[in-house]
Amino acid sequence: MTVPLVQPNAAGLDLILPPELDWQHLQELLPQYFRITESWWSASSPVRVVAGGRVLDTEHLQWLTDVLQKQELIITTVQTEVRATAVAAAMAGYSVEQGMVAPVTASDAAPALYLVHAVRSGVEIRHPGTVVLVGDVNPGGCIVADGDILVWGRLRGVAHAGANGDTQRVIMALEMAATQLRIGEQVARAPTNAAFYPEVACVQGNAIVLYPARDFGRTAPGGVF
Amino acid sequence: MGRIIVITSGKGGVGKTTTTANLGMALTRMGRTVALMDADFGLRNLDLLLGLENRVVYTALEVLAGDCRLEQALVRDKRQPGLALLPAAQNRNKDAITPEQMQKLAAMLAEKFDYVLIDCPAGIESGFKNAIAPAQEALLVTTPEIAAVRDADRVVGLLEAHGIRKIALIVNRIRPQMVQANNMMSVADVQEILAIPLAGLVPDDERVIISTNRGEPLVLEANLSLPGIAFNNIARRLEGEKVPLLDLDAPYNTLIGRLRRFFSR
Repeated sequence: MTVPLVQPNAAGLDLILPPELDWQHLQELLPQYFRITESWWSASSPVRVVAGGRVLDTEHLQWLTDVLQKQELIITTVQTEVRATAVAAAMAGYSVEQGMVAPVTASDAAPALYLVHAVRSGVEIRHPGTVVLVGDVNPGGCIVADGDILVWGRLRGVAHAGANGDTQRVIMALEMAATQLRIGEQVARAPTNAAFYPEVACVQGNAIVLYPARDFGRTAPGGVF
Repeated sequence: MGRIIVITSGKGGVGKTTTTANLGMALTRMGRTVALMDADFGLRNLDLLLGLENRVVYTALEVLAGDCRLEQALVRDKRQPGLALLPAAQNRNKDAITPEQMQKLAAMLAEKFDYVLIDCPAGIESGFKNAIAPAQEALLVTTPEIAAVRDADRVVGLLEAHGIRKIALIVNRIRPQMVQANNMMSVADVQEILAIPLAGLVPDDERVIISTNRGEPLVLEANLSLPGIAFNNIARRLEGEKVPLLDLDAPYNTLIGRLRRFFSR
């Protein structure tokens, strides 16, 4: 299951801290994530931190505040299931929502994530919908999406479409030189020499196959076009 | 206030310290005052490359502890009085200092010197975080190898996330002959991945090893070698001069060479 770190809500943004990521990893990921996604939220949006079962102390909250401040975002609310976090958040002057929130689920309704940025080595973009990237995915970079992945640039890292198990998803790139392609449960390496034309990867039978983009709509069964 | 520039790479052994030593020397020869800050606590090397190892008395840690003044810890170079080294402690590790302390030291140096060059340790752990904390700009050193380039790419992401937007690339240890034979990544290949402006190219040369062992940076030689010229050019570009890149392919740019390249594609 892919859980986004940042997602729009009714009032502003939800900042989701998935429990499976340890704090140190989050500290590395969040500033990069905010910089990459800055085109799709506006400055001074109110942010709700969804901490769930994670314990946040005053120091953690201070760090989050500082990071968000650099992006001109303001934390207004902290959601938590843990008493210690609630106390720390209240002391820091945030409003607190206690109790469970509905888990963030992947659905087709999740808006596509549109990014204009290079995904560099060590960066992992996760999104519960489709990802459109204008820029390259460098070796060591990674995109995981429950929907399709469109790369308007060179795909040289790892792309995982249909991460929730959907094998109907496709990966498209202007230059398909991926380290690895994954669709649903299928894994494939891209050919050593990338083609000079845009390609589309989709699942056929039990394998991932590549089509030249201009033929894809005609030849692929159930093609997306 | 001086410019604070971190020299970093991600991968080890690509030439960060050599670059720091040579750029420092080259900038002082151009009449600038330069402070070199070794951020490689526990594995310091910069003093050796500058040939100043026997003159280190105090280190950055003693300055922070208040055991000595900054002036006392700075090792002035006899060959170039504008150059000073703030040594790292060799008997401690990276956790001996915090990013805030690095910022404090760098700010103190920037008041007195035109340039503060920080020699960053390899890796992206605490030593790296310490080294980039005070920096306003970064010079990214890489060699034309996929491992070094991938690490450098990661470092670009981390630098940008840290708010350092002025990043320039130095491609070190190029072997034009191997690039011609398609056995080594070309500078264009490296730039295609990293997509940051180029500060300079440095060819691979045995004289770099000799100068390292002697503790005499290449740019001090009377007759500059090719890598010496390369480092000098990078220093001039830092000063804002427009210097054309070295044409390392010139010896191969003959008619036969071009034909061979055309057919090997």
